[in-house]
Amino acid sequence: MSLHLLVDQAMTAHPAASALVTALPAATENPSADFSDTPWWLALLKAVAVFVYLLVSTLLVIWFERRVIGRMQQRPGPNRNGPFGLLQTLADGAKSMLKEDITPDKADKLIYTLAPLITATMAFVAFSIIPLGGTVSIFGHTTPLQVTDVPVSVLLVLAVASVGIYGVVLAGWSSGSTYPLLGGLRATAQMISYEIAMGLSLVAIFLYSGSMSTSQIVAAQSSLWYIAPAFFSFAVYVITMVGETNRLPFDLAEGEGELTGGFHTEYSSMRFAMFFLGEYVNMFTVSALATTMFLGGWKAPPFIAAINDGMFNGGWWGLLWFTGKMWSFLFVFVWLRGSLPRTRYDQFMRFGWKFLIPITLAWVVAVAFIRGAQLGFLGDSRIQLFGRFEIGVATLTIVGVVAVIALAGAWIWDDKRAARLEAADVAPPDEIDPFAGGYPVPPLPGQRLREPGSQPGTLIETAPGSKEPVLSGSSSTGGGTTVVKEETHG
Amino acid sequence: MTSTAEAVGFWLLAPLAVVASLGLLFARKAVHAAMSIALVMIIIGIFYIMQKADFLGVVQVFVYTGAVMMLFLFVLMLVGVDSSDSIVETIKGQRWASLVLVVGLAGVLLSTIGSAVFDEQKVQAGLDKLVATNTETGNITGMAELIFGPYVWIFEVTSALLITAALGAMVLAHRERLSPKVTQAQWAARRIKDNKNVAGLPAPGVYARHNAVDTPALLPDGSPSDLSVSRVLVARDQVATTDGIRDVERHLEREIEEGSAR
Amino acid sequence: MNEPYVPVLFMLGLGFVFAAGSVGTSLVVGPKRYNRAKLEAYECGIQPSPQASGGGRVPIKYYLTAMLFIIFDVESIFLYPFAVAFNQLGLFALIEMVLFVLTVFVAYAYVWRRGGLDWA
Repeated sequence: MSLHLLVDQAMTAHPAASALVTALPAATENPSADFSDTPWWLALLKAVAVFVYLLVSTLLVIWFERRVIGRMQQRPGPNRNGPFGLLQTLADGAKSMLKEDITPDKADKLIYTLAPLITATMAFVAFSIIPLGGTVSIFGHTTPLQVTDVPVSVLLVLAVASVGIYGVVLAGWSSGSTYPLLGGLRATAQMISYEIAMGLSLVAIFLYSGSMSTSQIVAAQSSLWYIAPAFFSFAVYVITMVGETNRLPFDLAEGEGELTGGFHTEYSSMRFAMFFLGEYVNMFTVSALATTMFLGGWKAPPFIAAINDGMFNGGWWGLLWFTGKMWSFLFVFVWLRGSLPRTRYDQFMRFGWKFLIPITLAWVVAVAFIRGAQLGFLGDSRIQLFGRFEIGVATLTIVGVVAVIALAGAWIWDDKRAARLEAADVAPPDEIDPFAGGYPVPPLPGQRLREPGSQPGTLIETAPGSKEPVLSGSSSTGGGTTVVKEETHG
Repeated sequence: MTSTAEAVGFWLLAPLAVVASLGLLFARKAVHAAMSIALVMIIIGIFYIMQKADFLGVVQVFVYTGAVMMLFLFVLMLVGVDSSDSIVETIKGQRWASLVLVVGLAGVLLSTIGSAVFDEQKVQAGLDKLVATNTETGNITGMAELIFGPYVWIFEVTSALLITAALGAMVLAHRERLSPKVTQAQWAARRIKDNKNVAGLPAPGVYARHNAVDTPALLPDGSPSDLSVSRVLVARDQVATTDGIRDVERHLEREIEEGSAR
Repeated sequence: MNEPYVPVLFMLGLGFVFAAGSVGTSLVVGPKRYNRAKLEAYECGIQPSPQASGGGRVPIKYYLTAMLFIIFDVESIFLYPFAVAFNQLGLFALIEMVLFVLTVFVAYAYVWRRGGLDWA
């Protein structure tokens, strides 16, 4: 169903969106944020601030999730500790601190302790390159609201995430138990599978921005958020970010019915809490990255940005817009959890490998061609559209070709699906023999019953000495499938 | 010349890298060895970044730590680390060939490191050029201009290498299905058709005093149902007996009988 | 500050100190009550399977996943500099990249066709 929607979306929105693209690429790939007036102590201060911001956000989001899901399920959710139950998570954290920390006998002690530390530590690192706001003045120093920025920022996030996966796989292995091992491997395979599609979806952004530095990407979005030209990347990214963070509907690693707790089955107390913390901070990281890459980062929404010559579009205000955008993604996470059931593992992997990866690759190639046409690599002739817009012939052609391919693909896929559904939907015969299989079967709506006596070989007789009718003979097609009453448990 | 920050970083990390490399050789457990080499990979990535090769450094962590070591871990965990290696030479002359390659690699490394140590001017010139490229065109763009310029053939040949890798993985690890996979729906249909266990197999016994999966359910006549316990548990000889539970049941029945007789 | 990677290390250090600190505190603060059953592997009550950490065998399906992951990882690694430097590179690089993607796609199609992407 979702595939259908995606393809539909690709068909309809495409020409309009690409015609919109007029955003100029950045002049250079190096970060546009200026850190030259930032002494080391200020960098440390900002790191601590971001760290606290993340911890407080985690405390809040767990409460938020439980309250929202509570509303969705028509119950209040936690509302006892503190105003509106806000301190519930703090209470839970303190409780887990006071629980016994169990290390199973068979566990590999060193790695068993190391795994949760890796997960928790790596979760925080990625946030150091996320721009939270514009340039501000702190203690007399002009500095951007961002811990740091490097030319390879986004790649750094992906690299850190891939190191973070070690926490999961090592936790699974070192527990010395079957469920954690299986859960850990499953989680790892799931994360690496969706990491590819995630990485590929971001390539379209780099094509537009010409940079991998987060501050430069945000700066390049001042006229147009990349969600418009790279809408398909956005869809893929949102799907993969749920898969990456092991959240419902993709939380197969902790499928309670099959693997109990998955990789953290054996963990308790604070070591378990570290995995919990890591999961939620990772949710913030992927949401923050989505905000930065697709929603203009800390820039104000379009109409607010225009007020009073960009009064709200910089400095500390950025923090507000950024937080708002990021939390909208977190609401989506919670919403998904509140409404969708878990997918099956093979369905999940099939969707990742057979749909997301090839279609994202195709999308990246298409975007490369569109960009190439816009930059004049494919010819320079331009035409007037409706007497107003001037647009390159190459752009028009490429967009047309991409649209036609997407349309044709969707059409063929739809046809195949219809044919498959038709093939699967075999109409039941008009007439059934209710006793053909040996036991009475009620007719489907519109079916006629075959009269018991009309078929030779099928008749009901009463066995001597028994009050129950016993079936003899067999159905018209069966080569003598005599029915024997099973007595296996005698 | 090397800056202070770089020197401090080097002298902090290099001993760690050496210790981790020794860990690869001497660790008792294979996963520990794999972890130490992952650490070495990360440290090498940091070294690259310290040498102003940002992209290369991050990619080192991304590809080697993220992907290659993950493959190692999977193999180590799954195949079983205890299986002893066969020391029979499967390919003739393998040892001699590998010895020649090792000597060749050592030669290349020594000559490169030697030129870096003794020809400081050349190294400094290279580093200056790198810094200039990083600020003017940018590290990644400079890299891309090399990949799609002088080294475009190597880049294209890499794709052939990737195909080979896929082929190798399929040949080594993939077993093709001989019969089509039976889906859940087909199983259900077959169950109905065969008229055998139509409602599914009986569930194991659920008792208040004992965990259930290893205890067979009791049929109406009080006998245990073999169908209700997993055959894995049967093979492992872990099935609990139901005698005790049946004794209790009989006792209860007797009491009820006595009660009704009174 | 001209060392842009140092703040990343600050963040790493903060995260590690926090994680190690809270785990360490819970080790000190938390209760310790020995119970043999508590230290056994959890398997919903039955005796733990003997295979977990030793030489047990699990289907090697995941090996294929990891191998395919490497292949696509390397492919995307080449796509990144291409995308970033696209403005400067021009048509030649575009054609080269399409050729590269198509060649890797051959590997992908082969694996798909042979059933390497089916999860049983």
